[in-house]
Amino acid sequence: MTEQRKPRKHATEAAGRIAPMVKAAISENLRAKEEGKLVAYTFIVCAYDEIIRAMDIVPAWTENYAAICAVKRDAQRFLEKAEAENFSRSLCTYALCGLGFDVWREELGAMPPDSPWGGQVRPDMMLGSGQMICDPRNKWYQAVQHYMPDVPVYEVGLPWPPYEKDYDYREVQDYYIKYIVEQLKGLVEFLEHQTGRKMDWDRLGELVDITDKTWNMMWETYELRRAVPTPMGTGDAMNTMVPISFMMGSQEAYDFYKDLYDELQGKIAAGEGVIPDEKYRLLWGGGLPSWFALTDFNYFNSKGAVFPVETTYRIIEAVYNFDIDLEKISDPLEHIAWRWLKYWTFWYDKARKRPGSHPDVERLIQYIEDYKIDGVVMHEAFSCRTWHPGLIWQLNQLKKVYGDIPSLILESDIVDISSYSEVDTHARIDAFIETLESHKRG
Amino acid sequence: MTEDSINNGLAIMDGYYRDYGGRAGELKNQGRQVIGYLCALTPVEIITAAGFIPFRIKGDVNEPITQADTQMETIICPLVRSCFDMALKGRYDFIEGLVIPHACDSITRTYDIWKYSLDVPYSHLINLPHSTDDSSLEFYKQELNTFKRGLGKYTGKEISDESLTRAVEVYNQSRSLVKELYELRKPDPPLISGTEMAKVLIAMMSIPVDESNELLPGIIDEVRQRDVAPARKSARIMVVGAQVDDVAFIELIEDSGADVVVDDLCPGAREYWPMADVTDDPLDGIAGRYLRKIKCGRTYREVQTDYQNSLENRFGHIRQSIKDYNVDGVMLYIYKYCDPFGFEVPAMKSYIESLKIPVLYIEDEYSMSTIARLRTRVQAFLEMID
Amino acid sequence: MKEQYFAGMDIGSRMTKVVIMGEAVLSSHVVSTGPEQRKLANKVMEEALAKAKLSFDDLTYVVATGYGRINVPFADKQITEITCHARGIGHLLPSVKTVIDIGGQDTKGIKLKDGRPVDFVMNDKCAAGTGRFLELMAEGLGVELEDIGKISLTARHRTVLSSTCTVFAEQEAVTELSKGVPVEDLLAGLHEAIAARIYSLVARLKIEKDIAVTGGGAKNIGLIKALEEKFGYPVVVPPEPLVTGALGAALLAGDAAREAAGSGSPLARSERRLNEARFF
Repeated sequence: MTEQRKPRKHATEAAGRIAPMVKAAISENLRAKEEGKLVAYTFIVCAYDEIIRAMDIVPAWTENYAAICAVKRDAQRFLEKAEAENFSRSLCTYALCGLGFDVWREELGAMPPDSPWGGQVRPDMMLGSGQMICDPRNKWYQAVQHYMPDVPVYEVGLPWPPYEKDYDYREVQDYYIKYIVEQLKGLVEFLEHQTGRKMDWDRLGELVDITDKTWNMMWETYELRRAVPTPMGTGDAMNTMVPISFMMGSQEAYDFYKDLYDELQGKIAAGEGVIPDEKYRLLWGGGLPSWFALTDFNYFNSKGAVFPVETTYRIIEAVYNFDIDLEKISDPLEHIAWRWLKYWTFWYDKARKRPGSHPDVERLIQYIEDYKIDGVVMHEAFSCRTWHPGLIWQLNQLKKVYGDIPSLILESDIVDISSYSEVDTHARIDAFIETLESHKRG
Repeated sequence: MTEDSINNGLAIMDGYYRDYGGRAGELKNQGRQVIGYLCALTPVEIITAAGFIPFRIKGDVNEPITQADTQMETIICPLVRSCFDMALKGRYDFIEGLVIPHACDSITRTYDIWKYSLDVPYSHLINLPHSTDDSSLEFYKQELNTFKRGLGKYTGKEISDESLTRAVEVYNQSRSLVKELYELRKPDPPLISGTEMAKVLIAMMSIPVDESNELLPGIIDEVRQRDVAPARKSARIMVVGAQVDDVAFIELIEDSGADVVVDDLCPGAREYWPMADVTDDPLDGIAGRYLRKIKCGRTYREVQTDYQNSLENRFGHIRQSIKDYNVDGVMLYIYKYCDPFGFEVPAMKSYIESLKIPVLYIEDEYSMSTIARLRTRVQAFLEMID
Repeated sequence: MKEQYFAGMDIGSRMTKVVIMGEAVLSSHVVSTGPEQRKLANKVMEEALAKAKLSFDDLTYVVATGYGRINVPFADKQITEITCHARGIGHLLPSVKTVIDIGGQDTKGIKLKDGRPVDFVMNDKCAAGTGRFLELMAEGLGVELEDIGKISLTARHRTVLSSTCTVFAEQEAVTELSKGVPVEDLLAGLHEAIAARIYSLVARLKIEKDIAVTGGGAKNIGLIKALEEKFGYPVVVPPEPLVTGALGAALLAGDAAREAAGSGSPLARSERRLNEARFF
């Protein structure tokens, strides 16, 4: 039944706390003006979370709002609104949803009727990021500025060195760091101009420190999921990614992962898994989830399959696993830049050691081994050309350099539910379960 | 320049267009080395200075995509998919390397697929920034330097500043010649049709710049001397889009009774009109051209004063072309799944319409099978602006 | 002066329509463009002429439009259905500023000013939002196509469908039907889904009223109601919604003749007579 969403079951209590947290954050955004705070549209994994936070600016995570609309299955009217402006339906549906919403809000001079959770607040500025993650990050806000010409846009270049045959990334990292630092400096200047305040560099240093600790905490917490049975699956992780994505640099985010760590420890001690009879352990190897169909994780569960690990939104590594001592870098902007670069190049060295391998493939292999994985699932979302090209290729390469492992590619989208067929998706999952079963026996 | 080339320059280019890659293959057999690339934002000066022939990989609208899907998702820009399909089918087996700029997601995010599938000895991604501020230009220059060093290492010979400067000058000459040819589209009717022009520009993507520099003067003379100009048609049209590497769409417009007189395309005015500054360190001029001078939607143009002025900064060159070429209507020809141009459409359309010029926005899939559907739209638009 | 006669022929994917007129409309003729009729453009024209009691030689000018317009050798001019629909509606309903033509295989939105199109949008790629979608649904649910609109209006609770892709939507609808959801509720949901797609297409034109709906889809009362709900006000349906294109074509034929007469230039006619012609 498409009208009602099925209620979701969380394995962890921590995941269950997330929805109210997000709702509270949305409400905070809406109240910001009354409290004399400035709101900035921005993207997750932007590297400058702490900078925004240190300037007391309220971030409005536009991808998140689109995901909320998708989860509530109320994104179609916003996608259609964007389409009516001549934005192609094939574009990033986070952007289309956000664009449609904003165009409508500007037309009405008020929130569209029945806006999910009160709506998306009109921003005071919009902060994009070019290089390297995706094109919408430097096109979306430029596009919406057409309807809000008084709202300034600022773009920050955030590259990382590609994985290349003809040089090692360390040969170029210095000028990459220099560039990132310059770009972050430019952002600070812009924000100082917007707020009329100066950056409190000590405060920024503190937030950067909390972030490092949070990354380590989150990594250690997620590593607990290696246990058999696994105490937490990807379904929950699509919730527990919220603090690192939207609250990075806050004590609250750190505390959340600490609580989750304790909860998972408890479950492991009690031998409590996501499901009582864990038959198949799966890796969610790529692709953003279908936000309107997260219950499909429960469907997998009902067939005895769990997801102890995923690459999606696992956007951290333990900083003490980097090959530099990040702690020694005291300048906050340099610290952020190095953390960024080392995160994105983390798997390069490993990949060089295995002929024909690639950093993305190495990561899959590591998880397959560490988490005792039986099969890999990918999701191809039609509107996202950043995380979804290369899924087929990664699986092909994985099989070439590592070994045969059952795999499944699901197809739909992140926000656009009209691309999704529950009948088709469940049929594919069923067939995959059969493959896993015969692989286990054979 | 032989007697033949004066008379047959257009015919020769037509041949290169139809047998795309034939000349490059021939040169490879003669011992030359060819490097393939995607997108006009590739610094071909550096490739040429290193002694290679830069070859623009192109798709084929007549060929259904059959092999690419085994490795590349279907949500990628259809042009890129077609290019990849052609490469897998062996059309470009004469290339020994692949160079791509960080142009758009469809190109950048499939780089690994290309690299591993084609298995060529040399490949390189140049991390072109999105912003045009000074630190971005500096970063890009460093990236070009990395590319130059890597390519030099591959050939075993460092690329000298002299050879780079020479390459810049040769390409600038090519650009001037193309601009001269464009001037012959200003008269009414234009002396050279949009279809003919497109064939020349597309053919040029596949042959050494020296060879096109030899042919172009003859072509310019040939066209200039035409006394029987093509009959005057109903409307003067400008086509705006990303990469249009096939004449099908241009031909459709011209068959429907209009003239395509100017464009903002690659290959086309976007790619050919901006010159590279000849600088002491040649990389400065090259960096400036590709990052700042070429006006492509994938590069983010900061708002300097206010939003209205920023539109002028982004699209002012279209206004200028409309004026200089006496354009009656603009067709936005954008592929499905194209992020850099897809997001631009409302702003671009609104800007051009504010100039009181009608705009037709077409979203296409890069295949001959969709051309019939386009016919009605094109014809209706021409009827409308008549 | 002797009365002049003009013909407009609209060859759609489903139906072929001919209008013959002088000062007023003399005949309008609508037949199915079925496979058996593919080669018989001339036959349809002959039938229309017979209805009007005219012969082909009586015609001053013939305009062909529609999907198959290129394959009418005896037509003097081919004009797109966009321009023809605009002319036809401009003549019939001068207050109309937006036309939505819902055909078998495509849907068009046309913005009008003084009977001429100033902007248009087309959806001819995807079945969702066209008559085809309704056909498939009727088939899938086992209901007669002529009845689905009427039945949809009897729904008490409209099913909300998430898919607009025809294949998925059919799956969804059939699944719901098997669960016992009343067919009228499903039909109401399907009509709403189509109306949403059409609205989203036409909204690109910055809709101004009055809005007219033409084409086969205009005969579906359920779709009309669903569209009115989307727009928020009533739409106008001309008495013969299938022939507005052909009417417009005939009017444009007259325009061409008057323009030639006015400027003193000869009226160029096609050389082909009424022969057997291949459609596609």
